[in-house]
Amino acid sequence: MSKKNPSEPRALTTSTAERLAAIVEAAERAAAQVIDDAEEQARRQLQEASVRADRIVAERLRALADELDPRPAPVSRPESHLRPVETGEGERAPQRRSSSAGARILATQMAVSGSSRGEIEQRLRSDFDIEDTSEILDAILGPEDQP
Amino acid sequence: MNLTDLQALEERYLMRTYKRAPVEFVRGEGALLWDSEGREYLDFLGGISVCSVGHCNPDVVEAVREQAGRLMHTSNLFFTEPMVRLAERLSESSLGGRVFFSNSGTEANECAIKIARKHAHRRGVEEPEIVSFDKDFHGRTYGALAATPRLAADPDLGPMLPGFRAVPFDDGDALREAVGERTAAVLIEPIQGESGIYPLSDETLLAARQACDEVGALLVFDEIQTGVGRTGSLWAYEQTPVRPDVLTSAKALGGGMPIGACVTSPAAAEVLEPGDHGSTFAGGPVACAAALAVLGIVDDPTLLRRVREQGAGLRDALLALDGVREVRGRGLMLGVGLVGGIDAAALGAELLANGLVVNVPEPGTLRLLPPLTVEADQIDRAVGAIGSALLSYAANQ
Repeated sequence: MSKKNPSEPRALTTSTAERLAAIVEAAERAAAQVIDDAEEQARRQLQEASVRADRIVAERLRALADELDPRPAPVSRPESHLRPVETGEGERAPQRRSSSAGARILATQMAVSGSSRGEIEQRLRSDFDIEDTSEILDAILGPEDQP
Repeated sequence: MNLTDLQALEERYLMRTYKRAPVEFVRGEGALLWDSEGREYLDFLGGISVCSVGHCNPDVVEAVREQAGRLMHTSNLFFTEPMVRLAERLSESSLGGRVFFSNSGTEANECAIKIARKHAHRRGVEEPEIVSFDKDFHGRTYGALAATPRLAADPDLGPMLPGFRAVPFDDGDALREAVGERTAAVLIEPIQGESGIYPLSDETLLAARQACDEVGALLVFDEIQTGVGRTGSLWAYEQTPVRPDVLTSAKALGGGMPIGACVTSPAAAEVLEPGDHGSTFAGGPVACAAALAVLGIVDDPTLLRRVREQGAGLRDALLALDGVREVRGRGLMLGVGLVGGIDAAALGAELLANGLVVNVPEPGTLRLLPPLTVEADQIDRAVGAIGSALLSYAANQ
């Protein structure tokens, strides 16, 4: 019958403690990996959501522009209008025509391209003779902040 | 090899299609160029609106270096990521349809012409016609040339491709008259570039849009010079009251690498089908990588606002000079109309001799197309140089 080594229980305890430490360490590593993965996944999802949001905004702006600029169905004409075009450089009558739809498209496109309220307002006044631009600007950019 | 040697070789070997200024540029950085004798120049031509992000922009250089070291060409028979990513970026930033890549602006317009003609045939038009404006410039290949009235009139280059007509510049009524059942497209530059920087009025653009809609024709914007931020928005049409069905881009798109693109709206996206069009080099990974780098710089609201503000400041400063009659254009695409009698070519030559590179597209006009990244003090230097040259010119008359 072998005699029990008095140091064995301590060795067993040490071994168990080491195993436990290893298990805890592995669990901590796994947890850290899970957190990293979750963060990476969240970053990816945020990025994808941002791209989707940009596309939705772009699509909505295009749809808005389409609403403002409805394309009529092609009309059939009774005869060709392809008459020779006058190419002289004579006096031309002013062509200024007010176009609410055109003004709104201009404002929308300028807003999308990053133009400021002031820049858009200036163009609406100079190119479309619109005195009160607030209605168009408020509709597209939202109401101006009150001081 | 010095400039004299180069001139001798040019005289012997190069076709005489250009009248070059007697300068050999050897280096560029930002808005600056240096010639072979070490002289510094301020570049307010930007390689004709190509170097919009400045000469040798580090981001573009790195993108080209990296891509050239990895893969330069495969043909369009295979996928490459830069091409597809660039197509997505161009479409999403503009008309939302499809993209066809080319190697130049004139080729981009050839694609647009082809789309327009096929689109018209689908409407039952047997002999489609494309309408453009007098003094428009759309390129020098035969389709684009036929839409460039000034050059198409040269009998020595005939016969021209049929099916093109021109109307007086910015004449909305003439345009309405010209557009009819046969019209496949109205092909226009929203701001004429090569003719001397002449913007079309909003009224005429609205007339073009309306006329096209009435007959089912396509409105095509040639944004080869106006696009990629030149006017203070990514595309010039964004500062107009209309949206085209097709737009063409080139020049600044590649930041110095040759690339063109024809971008459609969704409505015109399905016109071209397999076999209708193609190109061996177009959409190559190096040019597309460069273009992605360019768009990464230019498609930035802060930069575009700066372009608008600097353009407005430059315009005001030029208008204050004696000898300047008017300043046309938008953003940093400006035509300086000189007071009658001033020889713009002589003025341009003097400016070059004094270290400022500009262009003279027509008698009486200086064309300014500085890099969009130009610094405020460089704009002040350019205005000062033009003012001094005008004073000198007046004193010598």
